[in-house]
Amino acid sequence: MSPFTPRVAAVIRREFVLRVKSKWFLLSTLGLPVLIVGLGGLAGFLAVRSATDAGEERRVIGVADPAGLIGDLLVEELLADSLDAVRAADIEEVSVDEARTRLSDSSYDLLLMIPRSAGRRSAEMPGGTPEAEGAEEATEQESAGDDERTTLLARASVPSVIEGSVRGALQRASVRARLRSIGVQTIDPGALLQRTSFDVINVTESGEARSQDIYRALSFGIAFFFYFILLIYGQMIVRAILEEKQSDIVEIMVSSLRPWELMLGKIVGVGAVGIAQMAVWALVFALAAVYGLTAGASTLAEAGIDLASIPVPWGTLVLMFFFLIFGYLLYAGMFAGAGATISNEHDAQQVMLPITMLIILPFIATQGVIQSPNAGWGVILSLVPFFSPLVMPARLFATSVPVWQWLVSLVLLGVFVLGAAWVAGRIFRVGILMKGQRANLPQVLRWIRHG
Amino acid sequence: MEGWIRQNEGNPQYIDGAPAWRRVGAVRIIGAVNTPAIRLRGVTKRFDRKTAVRDLDLEIPHGSIYGLIGPNGAGKTTTLRIILDIIGPDAGSVDVFGSSNVEAMRQRIGYLPEERGLYQKMTAADHLAFFGQLKGLKRKEALARARAGLDAVGLGDRADDKVETFSKGMAQKAQFLGVILHQPDLLVLDEPFSGLDPLNVELFKRLLQERQRAGATILLSTHLIEDAERLCERVCMIAGATKVLDGRVRDIKAAAGRRDIALSFEGNPTFLDAPDLIEDISAHGTYVEVRMLEGADPQALLRRAVDSGALISRFELIEPSLRQIFIEKATEAGLSHEDESEDDEAAA
Repeated sequence: MSPFTPRVAAVIRREFVLRVKSKWFLLSTLGLPVLIVGLGGLAGFLAVRSATDAGEERRVIGVADPAGLIGDLLVEELLADSLDAVRAADIEEVSVDEARTRLSDSSYDLLLMIPRSAGRRSAEMPGGTPEAEGAEEATEQESAGDDERTTLLARASVPSVIEGSVRGALQRASVRARLRSIGVQTIDPGALLQRTSFDVINVTESGEARSQDIYRALSFGIAFFFYFILLIYGQMIVRAILEEKQSDIVEIMVSSLRPWELMLGKIVGVGAVGIAQMAVWALVFALAAVYGLTAGASTLAEAGIDLASIPVPWGTLVLMFFFLIFGYLLYAGMFAGAGATISNEHDAQQVMLPITMLIILPFIATQGVIQSPNAGWGVILSLVPFFSPLVMPARLFATSVPVWQWLVSLVLLGVFVLGAAWVAGRIFRVGILMKGQRANLPQVLRWIRHG
Repeated sequence: MEGWIRQNEGNPQYIDGAPAWRRVGAVRIIGAVNTPAIRLRGVTKRFDRKTAVRDLDLEIPHGSIYGLIGPNGAGKTTTLRIILDIIGPDAGSVDVFGSSNVEAMRQRIGYLPEERGLYQKMTAADHLAFFGQLKGLKRKEALARARAGLDAVGLGDRADDKVETFSKGMAQKAQFLGVILHQPDLLVLDEPFSGLDPLNVELFKRLLQERQRAGATILLSTHLIEDAERLCERVCMIAGATKVLDGRVRDIKAAAGRRDIALSFEGNPTFLDAPDLIEDISAHGTYVEVRMLEGADPQALLRRAVDSGALISRFELIEPSLRQIFIEKATEAGLSHEDESEDDEAAA
């Protein structure tokens, strides 16, 4: 006979309807997409904003090059910079002290100082990282001009855009200076300095090629999402069971159905709320993705991301869903058993802590596993129940997992789910009628032994 | 009454809603009269070192209102929980409606525990419908009955309000409705009147009697013996986990005998010096209370009084109260009234 008798169905229905109707559900379901879109939007806005700011507030840079090493080239490069962050650059035969005075009387916004010693060591032309320093700090250093390092003096903090612009100009200027010193004048230093990069593509057994970076990011996202779901919904189970006790209703309940039926109803009911919530999220993100593909494709293409080229791994998604469900049932059973041993919120925190640790540890482990998803310990952890609900889905995304591995993992997890349900049921049967004092460990062990 | 009790519910909807084995046309067969609604045999339950119920035999006939009386901590709640299969006995057997499978009978039972709560966030109608569904009613049917029930107790206009907005008295009504919504054949009530306001006490009694007229068996526990005396046909007295006596209230009182006489007279009281008839005498101002020896004939005392020339204005056989009988029996059995607590009785 199916365990989902009409009375269990009634408990599930109550649990589901009441929670889905609650303010909490509305806020958390809509809150997450809003938060993600909001944070994404904010980050984008800030990035654009600071770039614009930098463009608007162009700076006057003085270059102090007492040895006359690269000053002229540097000015050229600074003015030619595509970011257009530099309004004017001067090279004057001024002493370091003079230049500093100009910095303090606002003739310059920035002062780039090339050390004299730079020319003596031809292998080490100025081109190292310029150090941005506050002007006041710099004036205290008497020998700043003879400093071994190239230094950028500034009156206020230097926006990273300008710092980058100066760094680029300095690098190109120093390459040109070196080329000039060996008699080459015609080569564009930009071409010499072009960055090289490459994509890492994993080829799966089925011959499918996928970009490692994107999948690593996704597998971390998945692990984080699962971790979040297990934690939130596990705690909701404890609260749902506490509600039975605190509203003095539990005795009426257990006179109508078996304690394990009540437990089953609670776990499935709360789980159904989770699935409903994820369905809403999936819908929102699907809509966002479709919208993004049509409206934002060009932006993404500029960034070198072609969403359409990323295949949706349906098989992996379905498999991961199983791990999530099994993981939920495992932890929900443990939370339910824990919830039956207590009668108030204060004790709830204490009994939840060890189970929460059992979710946090696998999550931490997952972050290591993603870096080398096929290392021995990663494989083992992905088979071990408690770890597997987080580690295996992460691996499924990060690498191609042999069938036997996820199969063994799922079966082991299933066995543990049944075991946890059995133990939780024994605890629940006695504990649910307990009031007042939290049951201690020997008591709970006795319940498990004798039921 | 012999054979089967036939009860016309006069409620075709309910007949339709009842399982097939309970339907015979419009007539519902409640059970054979010769099997009691509840039968306990040698039931014993221990919690750690405490014995909550000791070797209890109990037979509760169909259609009766049966009171389980005794002081707090006597083992009443444990007995009810064992009958309802919420906890199992360590020894002995429990039959409900002739079956030892109480689980299968749950839809025919309504239980109001002493600690009775409601989910605060649910509306009254929704909540009662939920209780009905737990007892096997279809949701639509349960909801309809919930609204009808709330109407009947004057809460019709609050049906869609959350329970948390209810006063204590309103919540009590809703709790009671939840227990009878599925029209159970057996009602089990643990201290049903404790904490009720007087109006609700009357309402509860009326609803209980309605259920009894519909053929239901009602088992209630109370430490207020006067309540049981007024409402119950039969009682079982428990003290210190042990049954002291049980049976019809009428029979118990008869067996206790009318040994007390209230006597008012003018004249010489020498006729009261009768050690062959009288066990004890106590003066009460306007009258004396005489306790006859067991088996002594009150008429013999009356005759002697008349013969002595005393002018008798009152000679009344006083019926002993259940409380007196209970105290007497418990003392005889050497049971203190308040031993053993039920506080942590769920601890197995």
